[in-house]
Amino acid sequence: MARGEHVVKVSKELCTMLLRDLENARRPVLEATKCSLDNSRYDFKRGYLTPGPKKVRTELNVSSVQKMSRAIFMLEILLRNIETGAVNTKRELYYISKGEIKHNPELKPLDFADQDESDSIIDFICEMMECYREDLNCYANDRGGQTYSQQLVVTETLPDGDKAVVDLSTLGTTPFQPKNRPQSLKLKAKKKIDFCLIVESEGTANTLVANGFCKRNNAILMGAQGVPSNAVRGWSRLIQEELRIPIYFFGDLDAYTMQNIYRTLKAGSASSLIRNSDFSAPEVRFLGVLPEDIKKYDLSDYPVKENDIQEVRALKKADDALKNDPFFKDKKNKEVSEILKWLLKNKRRCEQQALFTVNPRDPIMPEKIIVEKIKKGVYV
Amino acid sequence: MAKSITSSSTAEYFSKNLQQVGFSSQTKAILTTVKEAVDNSLDACEEEGILPEISVTIEKVGAGTLKNSDLIKVRVEDNGPGIGADDITRVYGEYLASSKFGRGRCSRGQQGIGISAATTWAQLTNATGVKVISKTKEMRLAISCVVEVDIKHNKGVMKNKETIKWDRSHGVAVEFLVDGRAQVGGEGGLQTYLNGTALVNPHLKLTYKLLDNEPVTIDRVSQTVPEIPDATAPHPHTMKLGEFIAHSHLFGRITIGEWLKKGFSRVTDGTLKELVAGGLKRNLLGISIDKAKDSDFRDVFTVIQKVPLMAPSTKSVLTIGEESLSKSIMRLGNVDFFSVVTRRPTICDFKPVVVEVAVARLQERSQEHSDSSVQVLRFANRVPLQFDKSGCAIVKAIESVNWKTYGLGQPKDSLPLGPYVIAVSLVSPFIKFKNASKETVDASDELVDELRLALIQAGQKLSRHIRAEARAIDLENKIRHIEQFGPILVGGVCRILGAPEARKKKATEGLMKLLGRESREAEKELKVAMIGKEELAAKQKKILGESGDEAQELPTEADENAEVVETKPTGKKAAKKVAKKAVGKKVSTSKKKSKQAEKSA
Repeated sequence: MARGEHVVKVSKELCTMLLRDLENARRPVLEATKCSLDNSRYDFKRGYLTPGPKKVRTELNVSSVQKMSRAIFMLEILLRNIETGAVNTKRELYYISKGEIKHNPELKPLDFADQDESDSIIDFICEMMECYREDLNCYANDRGGQTYSQQLVVTETLPDGDKAVVDLSTLGTTPFQPKNRPQSLKLKAKKKIDFCLIVESEGTANTLVANGFCKRNNAILMGAQGVPSNAVRGWSRLIQEELRIPIYFFGDLDAYTMQNIYRTLKAGSASSLIRNSDFSAPEVRFLGVLPEDIKKYDLSDYPVKENDIQEVRALKKADDALKNDPFFKDKKNKEVSEILKWLLKNKRRCEQQALFTVNPRDPIMPEKIIVEKIKKGVYV
Repeated sequence: MAKSITSSSTAEYFSKNLQQVGFSSQTKAILTTVKEAVDNSLDACEEEGILPEISVTIEKVGAGTLKNSDLIKVRVEDNGPGIGADDITRVYGEYLASSKFGRGRCSRGQQGIGISAATTWAQLTNATGVKVISKTKEMRLAISCVVEVDIKHNKGVMKNKETIKWDRSHGVAVEFLVDGRAQVGGEGGLQTYLNGTALVNPHLKLTYKLLDNEPVTIDRVSQTVPEIPDATAPHPHTMKLGEFIAHSHLFGRITIGEWLKKGFSRVTDGTLKELVAGGLKRNLLGISIDKAKDSDFRDVFTVIQKVPLMAPSTKSVLTIGEESLSKSIMRLGNVDFFSVVTRRPTICDFKPVVVEVAVARLQERSQEHSDSSVQVLRFANRVPLQFDKSGCAIVKAIESVNWKTYGLGQPKDSLPLGPYVIAVSLVSPFIKFKNASKETVDASDELVDELRLALIQAGQKLSRHIRAEARAIDLENKIRHIEQFGPILVGGVCRILGAPEARKKKATEGLMKLLGRESREAEKELKVAMIGKEELAAKQKKILGESGDEAQELPTEADENAEVVETKPTGKKAAKKVAKKAVGKKVSTSKKKSKQAEKSA
């Protein structure tokens, strides 16, 4: 539990500093990394977004004393969890804090009105200590990343030290659900694995498996389920690091997928700058749908609806990303930003399921196209 | 062959159309009866310069003849000049017999319909006329009689006339026995009417007893009878051709040129020159008006409409005044704070108009009314308007103001919320009502704009009170904040570190020292804010406390850059200075505060 010990150490340092300042009637100042796009740096060699020098300073004064008291109160609960090995979700922590306050009337002023308030305090603690909330034993539910493979074997180290071995080939069409604490997992390939395919739509990933994708290919197939969660990002990173196989992402051709889903998977996000190193897979390649695929396979695409607020907003954000997002601004990612530019210019989109139009009577046509693209290297 | 055409009297018309003049429902019938009697009393007193003392009694006598109605006795008594024996039948029994018709003065009554309609209502529902007791200064004994309307001939008929002793030198008492239902509370209730009337008539002493409720006496807060300005000569741009020609009959043998200058306002020698320049034959102006043909008048009228003239004079309107209004508003109940605005008379739609606004927060309303709309009191020529609120210019103007900037809640395009009373008084010799029962003022754009300006000024004054209050709450919160969270923070840190009690104590002291600096400053600011607010309140109280004609004024215009001058108030000027000082002080406090806020941010 090296991370846990580290967190305990940092917390104690923080409290010591706080107490010493107070004893001397000095105004304590807490610094946290600023997690926003304007403080994001991107280095192609590294492959993910890292924090810049900007810090958010919180000075203890009349206005911040409530936030500070709440942070210390929540930290106490989290440290206790680390000590006992208990884990919780944010919502559970909200109720645990409610319970603490209920049994100790003196704490009444700290009471959270809703979960948003307690969530923001947990985030504040993470930023202050530059740690993941998983380090504080606070986990999100495991969403997305359902994985199929005939070759992959996963070994999980349980909190009590026991080991659980999962051979994915024994699961049939049942997926393996990765945990969002990838540090406790070890991967092994029973047989050589050629590639890992991450499909944006969980449903399409299911279809591919049902139609025998994993039987015909020595591959790992994963469904991302929209914007990749920590579980998906950490799991992809683990696959990249431990198996050293090419990873491809296959999703819609639209502005939202490019900048929200693909960018986050490949380089992490601005709001999680401090943990992108473990939660991004920089080697992921964009397999499609590529603009050229539309012509080549005669895919049915359609124009972006001008009155669809969501789509119009995505295009506007794409324009903004080209100007301000260090990932898209980096020359080495030119191919990706070219796609964004194409989307902005043509205002058309094409969904991943469009592959099913190519030969409606052949259920494995999409698989054939995907494999062909991988073999021929048609990706960016 | 067509049926023969008959003509009917005015009285016949109104007796069949009483709903047009306020007798459209049983509750309104009672209210209108009271209203017509009280309005007449007030007008008569003002006419003679008497400080009015009016008493109103509403009593349920038995069951009415109409379905679901009561027989109600309405008695209104005044100390006015009294009505001479010959005039009594005309006043109470004849339609359109009025001393005020078309005079262009700001009196409450205008045409002479209302009180005769009340008599008609009594006659129709209870088969009796109105009982009148009247005594003028000249009479030794008072006259007591019953007046009925001879509907066929629009004439008053006097019955049971006798002379009686009356314990006063002059006055009138009227007693109606009518069918109806007496509604005391609510927007259209008797109480709202009576309290409203008291509000805009600070010189009125009013006593009333409504049904079984306790009798109420509202004392006067002003000892001066408002002087009703004389009507000014008509303005040519407000007339129609027929009126124009008819106006000439009032003058003898003078030339048209002389007549235009004498008989109209804003017509000068210069105007006559412009008329000629505008295409009028010069010799027309020299013709004597008794020789002039209708076509000549038409020519003059057409040209004069095209010539630009100064707007009519605003001398013919009267105001209640900010001082009287402030005193009067205190009679509404337990007023937390208030603001009053009297606008300068102005011209709207070519008619002189003056708008006055009073806004007050009432303590008794604060509990249950914090989320409901404010109470709106509307007045036209100092008569409360109680019905058909939504179409009224006054309500439209209130809704158009953004009250949120002054600290009041307000749903979009609606009346603001809160325990406030917004009273708006509109005075003009020519108010354009939407109907004959004078319930709503027609909402012309110009009028709504003028009303809006007055409301905005009142809102700005009000916001000073509300803001001071908000600041006080804010500062109090700050102090509470420190006391609450300080110990919790230190306690938490010490538990995490396992620090001994001694360190905890020292840290708590340190924290308090740290935040105490802020809290002490907060306390200081709170004190300043409270002093500022109290000063202002004291000032207003002082104005309210001082009776008579002592010249005292509330701050009318906020002078943000006013210098602080220490002087004892000795008169009008000094009072203004002090008021300015209060404003200046407040501004400086808020500036200080905003600076502080910036710093801490």
